[in-house]
Amino acid sequence: MKLKKIVLIIMFFTIHYSLFTSHSLAQQVSLSLSPPLIELFIKPGKAVMVAYKLENLGDPTFLNLKILPFEAKDSLGNIRIKSEFEGPVRFSLDNSELSLGKPFFLKTNSSQQILLRIRIPENITDGDYYYSLLAETNPPTAIEGVGSARTKATIGSNILVTISNSGNVDINPKITLFSTLGKVFDSSDKIPVVLTVVNKGKNMIKPEGQISLKGNFGETSKYDIISKNILAQSERMIEATPSSLMDCRERKCLFPTSLFLSGFFIGKYNLSTQIKFGENSPTIFASTIFYAFPFKIVAGILITVIIVIIIIKRNNQD
Amino acid sequence: MKLKNIIFAILLLTIPYSLITIHSFAVLMDSSQFKIESANVEIAGGNKSSTSYKLSDTVGQLAAGEYSSSGYVVKAGFQYLHSIIPFSFSISNTNIAFGTLVPNIPSTATTNLTISFGNSGQYQVTAIEEGPLKTQPGVAVPDTTCDGGGNTCSESLAKIWSSSSAYGFGYGMSGDDIPADFTDSTYFRPFPDRTASEPPAVVMTSTNVSKNRVSTVTFKANISAFQQSGSYQTVINFVATPSY
Repeated sequence: MKLKKIVLIIMFFTIHYSLFTSHSLAQQVSLSLSPPLIELFIKPGKAVMVAYKLENLGDPTFLNLKILPFEAKDSLGNIRIKSEFEGPVRFSLDNSELSLGKPFFLKTNSSQQILLRIRIPENITDGDYYYSLLAETNPPTAIEGVGSARTKATIGSNILVTISNSGNVDINPKITLFSTLGKVFDSSDKIPVVLTVVNKGKNMIKPEGQISLKGNFGETSKYDIISKNILAQSERMIEATPSSLMDCRERKCLFPTSLFLSGFFIGKYNLSTQIKFGENSPTIFASTIFYAFPFKIVAGILITVIIVIIIIKRNNQD
Repeated sequence: MKLKNIIFAILLLTIPYSLITIHSFAVLMDSSQFKIESANVEIAGGNKSSTSYKLSDTVGQLAAGEYSSSGYVVKAGFQYLHSIIPFSFSISNTNIAFGTLVPNIPSTATTNLTISFGNSGQYQVTAIEEGPLKTQPGVAVPDTTCDGGGNTCSESLAKIWSSSSAYGFGYGMSGDDIPADFTDSTYFRPFPDRTASEPPAVVMTSTNVSKNRVSTVTFKANISAFQQSGSYQTVINFVATPSY
């Protein structure tokens, strides 16, 4: 009798457990891939091997590695990954237990070294080719009887390949926009500066240089340009530092900017930029002007004076 | 006389203020966006090499001698930063269960997307569905068009979806680095459909400093009374990539 009771209690709990735990299938994915970017300058007929570290910081999962080409999507550094492989660059894995397109298992808090071999066949014409190494999880198993959207996570690392027989690169840049997005500002405004460079050459380029601010009293400030890549035949907004930060909660930063100037400005200001792209490259220039006046302070003083005069007149009438 | 005195007192207070403040011509910075102020950091680090490859984590010109001898130069990481920073991406829940879909009663479920990228900045997260939300035999819940009329949404534009008689499947977003058209929790978009050759939609992106950026994706499904019963399923692919 006692045994029966125990068996009944065990069955009661196990059946309830099996019934009610089927919904707790929340699975977390957390991946890390390093390095996030590889730049390779290489001659045709050569091959290199690059080591990546892929970490799984979430639940155990199956992962699939693949390489796809990408292109610049806009001038903000976003990319568009193409759906099919193309281009002359050949990729393979040196890991004996891994291969591209073949899923492998990665435990929680474990990592996998990926040895990626990049090979350039002979007789390839000079040019740039851009790819992403992608690590993709498998979606979880579908839950029967309920509507569900299962998600899979893909993490990428970009590979920029410049193929050159001679070691020379084609540099053909042009400044397409250098503006403060307005000519007249209040003295206390943060002044937005936008600098955009187009690369009409066959190879990616790295801008180096400064944005200089000169006021009408001779005061100057210099802001170093951040050396981010501009892909071949694409445009990119160039950022400079140090820049003040705009508080986006005020909904004032709806447009991207290269630099925010902050301080107290008064009068006419000249803003200029000089950019070069490495040794023996041409230097390109652009300049613009803006004006700043203390409109808010003047308005505040006027309003105060008017209010005081009104109050005094009323007092005198009384 | 009294009026004159008061005006004199106001001028005495305001003029010195304006005079004092116009001396602060120097451009003051609230904070810097990046750790490295100079683009010229080639003295910061050395080369890592083995018999099979060479790695450099510093900026510099294409070394002519090195290039002609080995035939290649490899640089790892972002050249304007001192170190190679890992790029991390998390999804808090990969199984977004709506439960049993009931006609005219919208079902919602959420998951969080997290990007961790040190201070190196630019990244993007895109989303695409591998096919519509459908049952095994192929009966689909259409992608939402939101409330319709002036509130017709698309894969690239969120609009209000609050009507219980507006049917479909879509998503809304809140949190960091999300598209500006997700004004509040009533704004939704349909997912781009890979089977219809639609391009992925950017759901998170940042051109500035990015460290532990978190957004919440709200999945929403609403079916009509004529929708066949069944277990509706789809797969959403979130792709996180750093910039270049």
